[in-house]
Amino acid sequence: MKRMEESRKMYENMVIPEELEGMVEECIRQARTKRAESLKEETGGEKAEGIETGEKRIGKSQAAGRNTTGKIFRWAAGIAAAFLVVTTVGLNTSEAFAMEVQKLPVIGDLAKILTIRSYERTEGDTHITAEIPGVELGESDNGLSKEVNAQIEKMTSLYEEEAIQRAEEYKEAFLATGGTEEEWAEHDIQIKVWYEIKCQTENTLSFVVKGTESWTSAYAETRYYNLDLKSNSFLSLEDVLGTDYKSVADGQIQAQIEEYTKAGETFFTPEEGGFTGITGDTSFYLNEKGNPVIVFEKYAIAPGAMGEVEFEITR
Amino acid sequence: MKQDYFEEIAEYILENQKRFYRIAYSNVGNPQDAMDVVQGAILKALEHSRDLRDTGALKTWFYRILMNESVNFLKKNRRELLVEEPLEESAAVFEPEDGESEDIGEKLKCLPTETQNIIRLRFYEELSLQEIAEVTGRKLSTVKAKLYRGLRALRVEMEGIAL
Repeated sequence: MKRMEESRKMYENMVIPEELEGMVEECIRQARTKRAESLKEETGGEKAEGIETGEKRIGKSQAAGRNTTGKIFRWAAGIAAAFLVVTTVGLNTSEAFAMEVQKLPVIGDLAKILTIRSYERTEGDTHITAEIPGVELGESDNGLSKEVNAQIEKMTSLYEEEAIQRAEEYKEAFLATGGTEEEWAEHDIQIKVWYEIKCQTENTLSFVVKGTESWTSAYAETRYYNLDLKSNSFLSLEDVLGTDYKSVADGQIQAQIEEYTKAGETFFTPEEGGFTGITGDTSFYLNEKGNPVIVFEKYAIAPGAMGEVEFEITR
Repeated sequence: MKQDYFEEIAEYILENQKRFYRIAYSNVGNPQDAMDVVQGAILKALEHSRDLRDTGALKTWFYRILMNESVNFLKKNRRELLVEEPLEESAAVFEPEDGESEDIGEKLKCLPTETQNIIRLRFYEELSLQEIAEVTGRKLSTVKAKLYRGLRALRVEMEGIAL
């Protein structure tokens, strides 16, 4: 039983991020505002006015004027530094250092997506695994593949570089706050860059390139590519859904948000930086059915615990 | 209008936020994600404040939301990077080593997630078994069985432990 007592003490000594208190207060404040709004709607105004008095009352104009579009929900940067408790990530890593070129033809004869570089390497204490894709578009290629591949190359190498930098900063902060080299060695710092094919037909290719870090999900990076293989161009939501793509998508997303909300999920209100409508630049991919799936990155329209939020739009 | 304990819930959250963080952290394994989980749980609890029937149930009600939020988070974020399946319950028995290195906290992490949580709720958060049953939505007998099995795996002497 003594050991249980000791372990409990260790548990209670867990380092708590300084940001916790502010975040909790902000959540309560926002929930209070939201509640005041809904009470007003339900009771036709007068009664709610009477309930929400004094400092608890937060006017609509104030909430709107703040216009932080959910920024308060993005405390992420810097927390890792304040973090001392050692966790080991259970993951088997091969120490093998491999750098190879692999060709995996995927789409017919004309166009293909392939792993142009696949490697594992270690930089300092950081283990990096990468599968960098590239596209080949056959004879009709008008330069699109070059453009796509250059973008992927740039994004993945930049991500890798920055993630290594973040890992180094994390280590520095860890040691500066009393962690030892031995404890640090137990961390298994991993960076991973890879891709996934979402949809491939004769006419379209949709895939996603991702970068993630094992110690935090705050900086994960995702980029979607949707290509029209007939005209060798990027597919836009307008190409897929037609000229009224915006109203079609907005309507379906709104309906799905309502469904989710009924099921108990939380979304930001428009005042908090929640969903207000898509734009031509909103991320999407095509799923196996060929339907566009609109993706909002973490924190974009809902609290971080929701992660990425996806909406399939049916045509 | 239906009774609403919004203010009581808010006060309870303010007082116990560090507990929530520790639980969330133990489940998701890193500070940012733990913050996300705590935030999600708080927003859900406050949004559904009218679902709470009486303040006596506040603690188990909130822990339940927090646990669900942690589990959902892990499901959504089950990247190859982070999660390795825990050992099956029967497999995890640890050989006691030299006194010093016997850190239960570390060994705990090798048990199935639910068992870990039951042990934490019982010994770190001091919830009763009945309360844990309410939080986890399990039968009391199931909670007991999992707790016993977990403790056996940890080789914690059970004499004197109030179960």
